[in-house]
Amino acid sequence: MPDLEKLNEAVIDGDWKTAAAVTQAAIAAGVAPLDIVTGHLVPAMDEVGRRFECEEYFVPEMLLAARAMKASMAIVRPLMAAAGTEPVGRVVIGTVKGDLHDIGKNLVAAMLEGGGFEVIDLGADVAPERFIEAAATRNAHLVALSALLTVTMPSMKTTIDAFQAAGLRQRVKIMVGGAPVTQQYADAIGADGYGDSAGSAVALARKLVAA
Amino acid sequence: MARVQPPSTGGRCREGAISPKAPIHQTLCPRPCTRAINRLLSETSVSSRDRLRAALEHREPDRIPLDFGSTTVTGIHVSCVAALRHYYGLAPEPVKVHEPFQMLGLMEDDLRAAMRLDVTGVFPRKVKFGVPAANWKEWNFRGLEVLMPGEFRTTTEPNGDILAYPQGDATAAPSARMPLGSAFFDNIIRQPEIDDERLDPADNLEEFGPVSEEDLDHIEASVRAAGVAGYGVIAGFGGTGFGDIANVPAPGLKNPRGIRDVAEWYMSTRTRRGYIHGIFERQCEIGLANLARIHQRIGGAVDCVYLCGTDFGTQTSAFCSVATFRELWFPYYQRVNNWVHANTAWKCFKHSCGSVERFFESFIEAGFDIVNPVQCSAAGMEPAALKRKYGSRLVFWGGGVDTQKTLPFGTPHEVREEVLRRLEIFAPGGGFVFNAIHNLQAGTPVENIVAMLDAVHEFNGVAHARSGKTE
Repeated sequence: MPDLEKLNEAVIDGDWKTAAAVTQAAIAAGVAPLDIVTGHLVPAMDEVGRRFECEEYFVPEMLLAARAMKASMAIVRPLMAAAGTEPVGRVVIGTVKGDLHDIGKNLVAAMLEGGGFEVIDLGADVAPERFIEAAATRNAHLVALSALLTVTMPSMKTTIDAFQAAGLRQRVKIMVGGAPVTQQYADAIGADGYGDSAGSAVALARKLVAA
Repeated sequence: MARVQPPSTGGRCREGAISPKAPIHQTLCPRPCTRAINRLLSETSVSSRDRLRAALEHREPDRIPLDFGSTTVTGIHVSCVAALRHYYGLAPEPVKVHEPFQMLGLMEDDLRAAMRLDVTGVFPRKVKFGVPAANWKEWNFRGLEVLMPGEFRTTTEPNGDILAYPQGDATAAPSARMPLGSAFFDNIIRQPEIDDERLDPADNLEEFGPVSEEDLDHIEASVRAAGVAGYGVIAGFGGTGFGDIANVPAPGLKNPRGIRDVAEWYMSTRTRRGYIHGIFERQCEIGLANLARIHQRIGGAVDCVYLCGTDFGTQTSAFCSVATFRELWFPYYQRVNNWVHANTAWKCFKHSCGSVERFFESFIEAGFDIVNPVQCSAAGMEPAALKRKYGSRLVFWGGGVDTQKTLPFGTPHEVREEVLRRLEIFAPGGGFVFNAIHNLQAGTPVENIVAMLDAVHEFNGVAHARSGKTE
């Protein structure tokens, strides 16, 4: 039986090769995929988020941890899907139309995935209709919108309005974030939640799914 | 010094933010006043350079020096420049886009005079896409006629996105994209497969090389023109931005090698530190040799040099710890700044967005004299505290008004109030050059920009170009 504590350490240290190797060994030894996620990846990413919040970690360390977590998830995700395991929630995420910046969005996506969510990442420069289509076809609980530019912030409102027009607004919770975005702006455009960091996004998503 | 007056900006037209369906040009406010402009054109530049120098030496100038457009981090989007030209009743000629990546408009002397600007810029001969900023050609930028560098090449995708090409070569892979609905380019990542065994710092150094005689001629001519006009001068020669994330993907190279992906670069600052040192070490050597040759040509004809635009701050935090900064960046910054201070009278200008107060002591120790954009909206960047703690040791070039909220989305009254508050904080004792927090973004209402300028003039006790009246 592999030492699964090494998986936690590998994720926290951003060592994707070790993360993948330990995960592979654990699966081979019969460890349940869900146990790998809930028992190791989620607490490891929680610790990464904690270190980011208290500024022990910065963007490079977050990216490295996310890569290690994804290396493990790439192994366990197909097994969980085959077993019909339900995630904590299903999130459609993307950077809004007109905006190509995706580092912040990628970090939030990784933290959500590491937090046990199924993440459908639409990338950057995502039109409202693509968010709607993905949310509808994938039965998403949450939609997460990111923007870095002041100029593209209004696309967040356009997207929320499009959900309203499509009759889907009541079916999903919408959370927003990004450098120029504030709680005040989130309230003004009718978002359900605002997160000011990748770490806080997970707590917010959990709260919104539970509501 | 400041005399707060009731708002004088009511009743002007207001424009919305750019939407994907709207043309890029703004609704333009009618405000021609050519006679006032001509008068200002003849008087504005007289003491601008002295004014800037006083501010840089932490002496209180006769009035706060004002900069817009002298660097690629203190500029104005071309659509706003066009709107300002119309507002001030200037010749309705297409604006030159001298920085196509961010679509920054060139400030010609007539607009500079109308806005009562004190600083002008010297820019590298070539723009980020590797083509000379010369031989201007007309280009319809989503409804706005502008002038682009003659060799600049784009194609438009069926979905309306605009692709730009390195070195004007449309047969190469595009290096930047402007999505429909945006008003700026962003890099297209062209990351070759990374083999750590074969990585060579030289791969990341292709864009750094010795300045050519052509470059030197261009710099000399630009500096001479700036000197004749009497403005304070800031020069961005290029080449000393260590790990500037906007340049890492190398939009000017056809086949970039090395680490070019943004996320991979950030991770490399942690995992491939020896490699990054190897790049910075050689880049520093090239940069110092170039500075020496440039200085030999132009001497003391510039007042300050924009050396590096690497961002260390995010909205709420930083991209690295102070310890990492000191290990990875500090030695190179110190070498460059030490050379500048030992050999020239230039002041050293550092741009970094975000929450960067934690780095200020290190910036000072490394020899930087000036910080920009002073993003007061970021965590820990409270203006009065910054002025109190660093005001005698750092020049704040920026911080004049928030460009994430107040300027694009506020009312003229809110803009005026914020500008006057910032002036009252930053002006005492010199050490302040007025500029907004970073470039003015597309879609910023022209009446808000004018309200900002009028507030500075009001504080300075000088005439508005618009009316010729002194507040």
